[in-house]
Amino acid sequence: MTTRPLIVGAVAYTPNVVPIWEGIRDYFTDGPAQMDFVLYSNYGRQVEALLDGHIDIAWNTNLAWVRTVLRTDGACRALAMRDTDLTFSTVFVTRPGSGLRDITDLKGRRLALGSRDSAQAAILPVHFLREAGLGESDVDLLRIDSDLGKHGDTGRSELDAIRAVLDDKADVAALGVTTWEAIGRDQLMPGALEQFWQSPTYCHCNFTALDTVPAEHTDPWVEHLLAMDWNNPDHRHILELEGLRQWKRPHLAGYASLFEAVKQQEIAAQW
Amino acid sequence: MVSTVVLDLVERLGAVSVGTMVEVPLHPGEADTVAAWCARSGNELVSATEDRAVVRRGRPAMAAFADNLSPKQRPGARLWLYTNFDCNLACDYCCARSSPKAPRRAIGVDRMRRLVAEAADAGVREVFLTGGEPFLLPDLDVVVRSCVDRLPTTLLTNGMLFRGTRLDMLRRMPRDGFTLQISLDSATAELHDRHRGSGTWQRAVGGIGIARAEGFRVRVAATVAPHEADTDAQAAFHQKLDGMGIPREDQVVRPVAQRGFATDGLALTVDTLLPEVTVTADGVYWHPVGADHDDQLVTRDLFPLRTAIEEVQRRLTEYRRTVAVGAQRFPCA
Repeated sequence: MTTRPLIVGAVAYTPNVVPIWEGIRDYFTDGPAQMDFVLYSNYGRQVEALLDGHIDIAWNTNLAWVRTVLRTDGACRALAMRDTDLTFSTVFVTRPGSGLRDITDLKGRRLALGSRDSAQAAILPVHFLREAGLGESDVDLLRIDSDLGKHGDTGRSELDAIRAVLDDKADVAALGVTTWEAIGRDQLMPGALEQFWQSPTYCHCNFTALDTVPAEHTDPWVEHLLAMDWNNPDHRHILELEGLRQWKRPHLAGYASLFEAVKQQEIAAQW
Repeated sequence: MVSTVVLDLVERLGAVSVGTMVEVPLHPGEADTVAAWCARSGNELVSATEDRAVVRRGRPAMAAFADNLSPKQRPGARLWLYTNFDCNLACDYCCARSSPKAPRRAIGVDRMRRLVAEAADAGVREVFLTGGEPFLLPDLDVVVRSCVDRLPTTLLTNGMLFRGTRLDMLRRMPRDGFTLQISLDSATAELHDRHRGSGTWQRAVGGIGIARAEGFRVRVAATVAPHEADTDAQAAFHQKLDGMGIPREDQVVRPVAQRGFATDGLALTVDTLLPEVTVTADGVYWHPVGADHDDQLVTRDLFPLRTAIEEVQRRLTEYRRTVAVGAQRFPCA
C-alpha cells in the first residue's frame, strides 16, 4: 500500500478555491489518507491531467465527469459528491407579464443561454427544450460565452443572461438553481423576474478517479471525506465555502440526462 | 428602470476571496436591497451611502471577531455597576474622579436588582460592583445579595472600612458566588501610600486579613503607573501576597489608565478598548475606566439594559469595520 499522498485536482474559478483546498488538505493531514492538491485554470486541463496520471482524483463538474467517462470508455469511477450536487436543476426566468407559463411556450421566443460548456445554463436547457419538442430552430438562442473552460462555475454568463432579459435582448434566461438562489430568487428584485419553469433534478460535481487508481487507495480517503461534520466548526468553515452541508456517495443515475444531451448535441469528448 | 445591483453584487463578490471588500455604485432606493441581499447571502454590508455600498465577502465582522474572543471577553459577558462615586480616599490616579468631595450618585437597591435581572436575561455571566468606595453605602449588603442571587459577583473595595457596623455588613454578605477585590498597589507602603494617602497600605493589608478570616474569597489588585512599573517590585508584590495566602490567580496587576485624576497612563479610547458594559447612576458606558467621561457614554437610559448591551455590540462592530476599511484603503506599502 502506497504512503504517497493522493493528489486531488481542482479548478481555480474563484480565489476562494485556495482556502477551500488548503482546509480540506489540512483536514486530511491526521487522517487515514493524506492528500495534496493541484489547481488548474480550466476543466479541460484538469481532465487531461487525470488521464495522464498527474493527479489521482479530479473534482469534476458534471460535464467533466461525462467527458472523463467518454474518454476512458467508462474506466473511471465517481467517489463522492456534495449533497447539493444531488439535487441540481435548471430554472427558466422571464419578466413578469411575459405570458410564459411552461417550457413549451418558448417556441418563437428568445432564450439567453450561459457559457456553451455550462451544463446547467446551456447544454441541459437545450436538452430540455428537445424533450419538450422544441428544436434549436424553434427558439432564438442567445449564447453568452463568458468564462469558457470553467463549465459555468463562476456564474458570470448566467448573470449576463439575466441582464440580457432585463435589457430586452432576450425573453428568457436559463440559470442554474444556485444562481437563482444567489440573486434571492424573485424576492430581492421585485417585479423584475419570475421563474416559470424548473427542470427535473440532475447531478452536478463529483470526485472522479480512474480505475487505474486502486480502490484500496481511494476508499480510506472517501470514508474520511464523508466523516466531515457540519457541527464541527473547523469542518463547517470548509463546508460553507464549498457550498454543502454533507458529502454524499455518488448517485450516477443523476448524470443520465447530461450523457444524453452530450450525445444529441454532439458535444466533443475532448477539448 | 429595474435595479441590477444584486447582479453586480453576486458577480463582484463571487470573484473575490472571503474577507475582501468590494464597492458597488447605488441608485436611489437600492441600499435596502443591498442590506437584504447581504443578510440573505451571509455577506457583510460594511457601509452604504446615497451613491455607493461597500460589502465584505463572508460573515459579518462581529461574528467572526467574537469567535476569537474568550467567553469572558465577549462584549456583554461582564457587567460593571458603579454603586456610588463618593469615596473615603482621593487616589491621584482614580479614573472615576472619586473622592470624599464627590457626590454620591448611587444606583440604589431597586434599580440594581432590576439591572442584574435584566443582565442575566441578556446573557451577562458575571457582575462587578465598584465605586467610589461601595462600603460607604449603608445598604451594601442588600445590594450584594441582590446581585449574587442572580450572577457571580465581585465587589471592588479599598478594604479599609471593615469596622463597626460596616464589619457587620461585611459579615452578612454571601460567601458563595461572591469575591472581594481589594486594592493594594505594592509590597510595601511607599508606592501605595504615595498615590492613595498616608497609612492606607497598612489598613488595606489589614482589610485583606479580615476578609480572609471571615471566609471570603479575596482577590488583590494593584494599579501601577507605567513609569513606576518595576519587575523587582512586581516580584516582591507577588511574594507578599503569596505570604498572605492569596493564590496567584487572584493576584492582579493592571496599569493606570489616563482617565479621571490620572495625568499619566494608558490612553484608552472606545475604538481601542474592548468594551465591558458599565452602568452608573447617570447612564451606560463603554468601559469602567470611562464611566465618568462623556466620550464613553453609550446611553443615558439604563433600561432596558439589553438595548444598551446591543448598542455596545453594534458600536464595536462599527469600530472594527472602520479599522478594517482603513487598513484596506491605506496599505502601508
